[in-house]
Amino acid sequence: MTTSFKTTFSPGTIIVGKWRRSRYYIHRMLGQGANGMVYLVQKVGTRQLYALKMGYETVDLQSEINVLHSLQGQKHYKTSRKQGHDQHASSFLVEVDDFTSDNKEIPFYVMRYVKGVPIHAFLEKKEREWLGFVGLSLLEKLQQLHDGGWVFGDLKPDNVLVSEYGHVELIDYGGVSSIGRSIKQFTERYDRGYWNAGSRTADEGYDLFSFALLCLNLLYDEGFKKVTNQQLPQARSTQDLLGLLGHPNVHPYAKWLRKAILHEFADTTEAITSWKRDVYPAAVKLKSKQTHVTPRWLKSAFAFSIIMLCCAIYFVVRF
Amino acid sequence: MKQILLITDGCSNVGVSPVLAAAHALKEGITVNVVGVIDYGTIGELGSIEIAEIAKAGGGISRVVGTPQLAQTMQMMTRKTVVQTIQHAVHKELTHILGDGSLEDLPPHQRAQVVEVVDELSETSPLQVALLIDASASMKPKLRSVEDAARDLMLSLQARQGTSQLAVFHYPGRHSGEEAVLDLDWTEDISRIHSLFGRIQMKGATPTGPAIFKVIDFYQYGTLNNNQAWNEEMMKREGILGDYVV
Ligand SMILES: Nc1ncnc2c1ncn2[C@@H]1O[C@H](COP(=O)(O)OP(=O)(O)OP(=O)(O)O)[C@@H](O)[C@H]1O
Repeated sequence: MTTSFKTTFSPGTIIVGKWRRSRYYIHRMLGQGANGMVYLVQKVGTRQLYALKMGYETVDLQSEINVLHSLQGQKHYKTSRKQGHDQHASSFLVEVDDFTSDNKEIPFYVMRYVKGVPIHAFLEKKEREWLGFVGLSLLEKLQQLHDGGWVFGDLKPDNVLVSEYGHVELIDYGGVSSIGRSIKQFTERYDRGYWNAGSRTADEGYDLFSFALLCLNLLYDEGFKKVTNQQLPQARSTQDLLGLLGHPNVHPYAKWLRKAILHEFADTTEAITSWKRDVYPAAVKLKSKQTHVTPRWLKSAFAFSIIMLCCAIYFVVRF
Repeated sequence: MKQILLITDGCSNVGVSPVLAAAHALKEGITVNVVGVIDYGTIGELGSIEIAEIAKAGGGISRVVGTPQLAQTMQMMTRKTVVQTIQHAVHKELTHILGDGSLEDLPPHQRAQVVEVVDELSETSPLQVALLIDASASMKPKLRSVEDAARDLMLSLQARQGTSQLAVFHYPGRHSGEEAVLDLDWTEDISRIHSLFGRIQMKGATPTGPAIFKVIDFYQYGTLNNNQAWNEEMMKREGILGDYVV
């Protein structure tokens, strides 16, 4: 019942769906993970590019597809997608099918090709102030999932793709669990169980905790690495994490991160409201203060011209 | 669902073959997974072959990892095995409908429904995991990590909706004839997983096969002492049991 294959498919290979007979031309491999391989493909006869994921295990891939299906059916998800530009309006999951290779049935699904880079690569190239913006988009993505009764679970930099202007897309829905069930898949350093900070039962707070650690990792990499590697499992605690919040890099985020780490947000909506109010303006303003602060010489020049103006007016009025 | 998760770092060297023991477990409805833990060097060719063979015979999975990966590996194996066990059970039920077809032969929308059932049952079915830990001399420096990994596994089990229990054994015991020692009886309580292996005296022998048989006994009778599946099996085969049980 399990499909296992190690074969990779070279550029130029054509994948033909067994049930729906669609044909996809493989351009190149995009990546490969624990559950499958993802290729950049073009639907034959069109100019449309997609990402095509082949699964190693039929059940695992299907359960990922089930999540995507149910998200697609979600009303809120649809409407909120329509607000974006064209690209967002098209749905994420495009087609589901199997194909045969060397007498093996390989299940696959086709999804929108996300042209972006993982969030850490994105922020390396941009200023750190972008995290205020990108973080907000990511929180809103998580909120859409939560509204549908799902928890993302395995939130890590590789699963967050960011396009050139900061549009965020989550990929890899293999770790998504229904709220109230157990977390299917996680990465230890972002997992609240690993930090002795709570259960592995899926709830909104689980994703918010991972999100906070992801931010810490992005803002203050050395510090985060240090506390992750140093501690013995039983000694690990949120105290180690909170200890990093005093670092200047973390400054405008510290209060928010603290609340997420300690599970003090009632839900994701509250977390977003707080991000918009406390983090976003500060994260961006901090930077603008530094670059757009009026130089002293300009200030005195301005004061000088005011005095000159006054003198001028005085003389005009007087004579 | 019943699982044995064997944690070892080398080859068995005493008693009945662990591969046979694992095959017996599977026959009794217990899946056997094996983790080989190594921190330095390799596990040796013999060791790695044996590990793979035990898991195959026991219907489970085997992995060789270092102690830093131990916790996550155990979680992943346990979860995978649960899904596989459910999948087999569901598949058996479905053969009435599918004939001898497999999941891949189902059109995608029907497959979606089957997998939904698999996911549901994987989350809600009761689960027991018996950790069986090789405590031969070379394992000593790793026992600390093993205990941490056991606690981490319990955390994952607790998150399931179905009841989930863990028991912990090590082998060999203090004297010959004590093939395995119960360190922790079935529990759902994570706080009970602490200082499990404080009193262990390390020995050189590694009677993996006999230890697996002991755990099978425990699954069946709730104790390590009275009955022995191994002997009983022999007696049944030779028709002796009937004479004793009158
Ligand atoms: N829609 C997409 N658009 C562009 N690239 C993608 C897309 N989906 C996946 N990729 C690329 O393929 C890689 C593997 O995909 P994915 O994470 O889904 O696989 P996985 O086997 O589930 O991985 P993991 O081991 O993280 O669970 C990603 O890291 C990413 O680089």
